[in-house]
Amino acid sequence: MDEKSKILIVDDENGLRLGTERLLEEEGYYVESAPNGNEGIRLGKSKEFDVAIIDLKMPDVDGLTVLKEIKSVHPNTVCFIATAFASYETAIESTRLGAFGYIPKPFSPEEIIYQIEQGINQRKLILESERLKKEREENLLELANEKSRLNAIIKSINDGILVINKNAELVYYNYAALKFLDLAEIELGSKILNILPEKVVKTVNKLFYSETFHLKSYSQQIELKPNNQLIVEFSTTPIPNSDGSLAGVVLIISNITEYKKIELLKSQFVSMVAHELKAPLAAVQGYLNIMIDKSIQLSPEKQEDYLKRSLTRLKGLTDLVNDLLDISRIELNTKQREIEQIDIREIIENSFQFFELDIKKKNISIETHLDENIPAINADYNEITRVVTNLLSNAIKYNNTNGKIEIELYKSHNYLILKISDTGIGLKPEEKTKLFNEFYRAKNEMTHGISGTGLGLSIVKIIVDSYHGKIEVESEFGKGTTFIINLPINIK
Amino acid sequence: MALIAIIDDDPDILDSSSIVLKSQGHNIVTADNPHDGYKIVVEQKPDLIILDVMMDEPDDGFYLAQKFRKEGIKTPILMYTSVSKATGMEYDKSEMVPVEDFVEKPISPSELINKVNNLLKAKEVK
Repeated sequence: MDEKSKILIVDDENGLRLGTERLLEEEGYYVESAPNGNEGIRLGKSKEFDVAIIDLKMPDVDGLTVLKEIKSVHPNTVCFIATAFASYETAIESTRLGAFGYIPKPFSPEEIIYQIEQGINQRKLILESERLKKEREENLLELANEKSRLNAIIKSINDGILVINKNAELVYYNYAALKFLDLAEIELGSKILNILPEKVVKTVNKLFYSETFHLKSYSQQIELKPNNQLIVEFSTTPIPNSDGSLAGVVLIISNITEYKKIELLKSQFVSMVAHELKAPLAAVQGYLNIMIDKSIQLSPEKQEDYLKRSLTRLKGLTDLVNDLLDISRIELNTKQREIEQIDIREIIENSFQFFELDIKKKNISIETHLDENIPAINADYNEITRVVTNLLSNAIKYNNTNGKIEIELYKSHNYLILKISDTGIGLKPEEKTKLFNEFYRAKNEMTHGISGTGLGLSIVKIIVDSYHGKIEVESEFGKGTTFIINLPINIK
Repeated sequence: MALIAIIDDDPDILDSSSIVLKSQGHNIVTADNPHDGYKIVVEQKPDLIILDVMMDEPDDGFYLAQKFRKEGIKTPILMYTSVSKATGMEYDKSEMVPVEDFVEKPISPSELINKVNNLLKAKEVK
């Protein structure tokens, strides 16, 4: 203790009291003294002394009462009882009341200093153990807080959690687990294996009944509701005891329905792509095979026809590969966009040149209404060109001979509106909904002989979406189709 | 000599397959969609059907094959497709796909001729 130890002396013998006081002060203690029992009680209660020496016999209040009173407020004050009339009973009684020791009078300076030192040591021990006790209590409190915090966290996790002990009894769960298992409630301690999917039970039992186990998780995907409504992953992990034996298992149930949906879409897309890529290859291979086969006789005209058709299919294949690459580039955003100020009117006017031949062939008339006051927008020139040419190409391809195409461009609020209308085949209502799907091509009595990759509109939609725009389609079967593109003017 | 129906939505495949089989002296009827395919089979009663899997819909060919079998049309079917195990689709010869043989496109002329001859021979034995 850096501070001086505080000593209280309670004695009605003035000489002894003052002598002791002086002696202890010289020894470096802080000393206060009381000439009678009442004053002793007042002082002893008013502040916490490290050590108190209390005379047993005093005229007003006896020493044991003083001891009791002081102890009632400061139980850690180390008290000595000093008396010339020592008796066995008072010694017992004083220790019973909490006195640390008993000092017989008269005492020599060495004796009293020795006793005080003992008392101070005792005081240190008491304080130290008090401190430890308090610390432990604080830790426990913290632990309790920590536990309730952890509980709150686990309960609010979206994944289901079940902990099962080696007797197959439920020892912990959260609400998400109940939801996944479609249960209103579940009792801790109940056997729950019979309500878990069979596959999971097998895994759990395997862990329970094997001699050794590895600290790893076993994952199983399980359809909890039919028709892919709810697919979850059960992850089963053993919990070891400190001696390495198995204490139980923890099951974590995660909802992977959306993930599985994407996986399915992806595999469907891959197999569609494969089909679309293989079809032209098979066609070309078919032609080359019959041309190289010596047992099959073909006229030169036929041969030329087949070569031309092979080239057409290969051209289609090349277009398809390019479209696919574009889609993946846009979707992956790896395409280095060159954002610049672009004038859509200029893009529209430039686009016609790509289709000059087709427009002439079908004798299609084109009408444009392009608003003069169209602001330039920040976008990638090639991407917007792609949007315009893909739509224009469709408007020509699916138009009738002598048909008409109308192109309108104007500003509405913060959007540029681009409308491209044709007077062609049009769409049936059920075709409209599938229009933007990859590889979807309207197949009906009117679309025979029209070629395409089935990706044109997908690309348009991907590009428009990437600029936070919108594409809409209006169409009537047999009358024509209008595509409406909304592009925000302030594209960042 | 046999009458063979080829049902495939790819006109180029219809053409080249027809030429290969015609060179063997067979007569060919073709259809480029499941609807017409059903019609030619019912009306012309071919000895063999060559059927594509993916036409208007990805599984048109399967439905058509099942429809034939349900209606008691037992004509052998050689089914072919351009999707396969390698591209993530797996088919088994089973009730689901009640066909006699299954090949992956592209198919060489000699393979096509072999398959067709085998199926026609098996039919005669029956």
